[in-house]
Amino acid sequence: MKKRLYLHPYALAGLVPAGFFLVFYVYPLAGIGVRSFFKNGQVNLFFLDQVFQSPRMLGIIWFTFWQAGLSTLLTLAAAFPCAFVLSRYAFRGKGLLQLLASIPFVLPAVVTAAALQACFGKDGGMFGVGIAHPLALILLAHVFYNFSVMLRIMTGFWSSLQGRIREAAVMLGAGPFRVFSTITLPLLRPAVLAASTLVFMFCFSSFGIILILGGPSFSTIEAEIYRQAAHLFNLPLASFLSLVQILFTFSLMWVYTSFTRRAARFMPKAEQAELKKPVRVWEKLMVAGVAVFVVGLCTVPLAALVVKSCMYEGRFSPAFYTALFQNVSGSIFYIPPVHAVQYSLLFALISLLIALVTGTCAALFIRFCDQRFTPAWASFFDPLFMLPLSTSAVTLGFGMIITLDRPPLNLRTSFFLIPIAHALVGFPFVVRSILPALRSIPQSLTDAAAVLGASPLKIAFTIDLPLIAKSLAAGAIFAFTVSLGEFGATLFTARPETPTLPVAIYRFLGQPGAMNHGQAMAMSVILMLVTALGFVGIENFRKQNPEGF
Amino acid sequence: MENELVLDQVGKTFDDGSLVLRNIDLRLAQGTKLSVLGPSGSGKTTLLRLIAGLEPPDSGNIFFDGQRINDLPPHQRRFGMMFQEFALFPHMNVFDNIGYGLRMKGFSRDRIELRVKEMLVLTGLSGFEKRQVDALSGGERQRVALARALAPEPRLLMLDEPLSSLDRVLRKRLLAELTAILSRLNITTLFVTHDHEEAFAAGSRVIIMNQGSIEQAGTPGELIQSPKNQWVREFLGL
Repeated sequence: MKKRLYLHPYALAGLVPAGFFLVFYVYPLAGIGVRSFFKNGQVNLFFLDQVFQSPRMLGIIWFTFWQAGLSTLLTLAAAFPCAFVLSRYAFRGKGLLQLLASIPFVLPAVVTAAALQACFGKDGGMFGVGIAHPLALILLAHVFYNFSVMLRIMTGFWSSLQGRIREAAVMLGAGPFRVFSTITLPLLRPAVLAASTLVFMFCFSSFGIILILGGPSFSTIEAEIYRQAAHLFNLPLASFLSLVQILFTFSLMWVYTSFTRRAARFMPKAEQAELKKPVRVWEKLMVAGVAVFVVGLCTVPLAALVVKSCMYEGRFSPAFYTALFQNVSGSIFYIPPVHAVQYSLLFALISLLIALVTGTCAALFIRFCDQRFTPAWASFFDPLFMLPLSTSAVTLGFGMIITLDRPPLNLRTSFFLIPIAHALVGFPFVVRSILPALRSIPQSLTDAAAVLGASPLKIAFTIDLPLIAKSLAAGAIFAFTVSLGEFGATLFTARPETPTLPVAIYRFLGQPGAMNHGQAMAMSVILMLVTALGFVGIENFRKQNPEGF
Repeated sequence: MENELVLDQVGKTFDDGSLVLRNIDLRLAQGTKLSVLGPSGSGKTTLLRLIAGLEPPDSGNIFFDGQRINDLPPHQRRFGMMFQEFALFPHMNVFDNIGYGLRMKGFSRDRIELRVKEMLVLTGLSGFEKRQVDALSGGERQRVALARALAPEPRLLMLDEPLSSLDRVLRKRLLAELTAILSRLNITTLFVTHDHEEAFAAGSRVIIMNQGSIEQAGTPGELIQSPKNQWVREFLGL
């Protein structure tokens, strides 16, 4: 029996993600650890001092925490009433509203930053009211960016509390407020905590938004790693900061998973909840208020972005778009900027392939563990493969360039370093899309196929993979859009002659002059459209999936 | 003997250490129609899964046609099985479901088509080739499952509660249909059920299982006339 066990193709499939992880995740992270504590082969704790004795560094760590906390609270305040209305009421245009509300999260951070700058930027902004303070812009961007994920988790959970369980409480004599305080709130708490932790983690390791909107005065750990490494070439200090960042994000991820486990345990069996129509005046007002808020929050900055990209010297003009095709001398690139679009698409395609293959192999392997071993094995590998999600992109990119730049594996000038980094970030999304679908395949189907003479490999290709085709497609588009928007790791790994869209946008935004600024807006619009297209595709392919984002 | 199934002291324990099957001995000549009868949790489905090779036994040996098959993976055993909820492949139509086992054997398209047609006639499903399986009624699904199991000409056919998901009226009719089809074929069958009427109708021999052991074996007549003990008598409702 043992011999057959190890030759099962799904067991072998585990080797693919394992190898991929070892080389492109564990090795770079280990490199960061080594660089932090060793110098010329000797233990060196100099950087411990350099961080913890320096008021500037301590200030950065403190700021990282409180901006993330404040952003999370603001996001919660914005999402809570919206989740209530969306989980409680049925009304016309609700589907569209929900689609609209989920767009900001899939938009690349760079686009978010550009949109908020277009809307409220220093140069007057959209409505002539510029927000001068960078901090306000950062918080606003974080709310805009994370509103979707918070709303999605809470609405999903809250909807499931509307059915029988409410009715049972009402029948036992509880009024609306008692139902809320004794039933809804306690059951909702783990989901709210889980969503908040996730958002906190995103804000904690927010990079593009801080770098673009914060300017030099506001730096988080994440942004500081980049500054130390890329501007000051202080690699050991950057390593040490990366290590700090990794420790924090890992702990946050751990907290998040324990909250989701609790939330899942309390989650009542999904039942088709009866949604109410808003009848009374206050109900109608509430629904209308939420609709206006969601539409405003999610569309105004994006609309501002589009408008700004089409206005040149006060008039409507495609000047910024046509400029993307010209190779202006003295420009920051050696090529017409529009080539960044091609590179982005090419990298996205390659990383899609890598992420899809490794992600599928990982999901098949976890499924194999599910079936053959005790659940403990699956619950060990499952979160293991989620690790890249809890590692900030900047630390990933940084780890890669400090370890993969010399033998045994020198990819410093390789074209493939970017797609590999992107695939690593996209990998968890692929696994998350596929695994629930794979787990929903009844064992009897694969048993039936086996009895009918199908070898395990044939079962994979005739039963398992065809049955999860839709999820595979959703995972593929996920990997594609993640790659398109990826910024932190790309900034480290991109070569000047092969910029991606987000890198190009960042470079343009960093240059003075209306032309550069306008081109950044135009490129953001292009990136936004491509990403939105991919997102609509995902939504089409995805069935209701409470595990995903 | 040719195509004889022999179970020799076969046992199975679950991961938690509890015993599912203890020392099962069984000998089935080619063509025997055996019903495996027992309450839920008596180990009858596990017995089928061990014979099919879907799970390995923890002790004892299983022989088929004189060959020890303990370590033979299920897809190489050339057995057939009908599953409880039929386990039809939802992404294939009726034709592809029935032809699946033939495709696994590497048959040519023509040969597959011929054999599937034959099976459709046998089960009274002619004209259903292109139907999607989720558009079928319970009775039609059952017939597709039977056709699918029989198409590759298995050396042994196992039926795991093949009627349990159908309503009572339909169950009676389909049981008659099913036994009629099976009696025309000289194929060894193991028919698992918790319903003694079904068991007596489907098998010329019956074993009654209780808590992982064979409580009593015999023909339906023998079991009704001389139940071995009080438990068997109560279980059969005598």
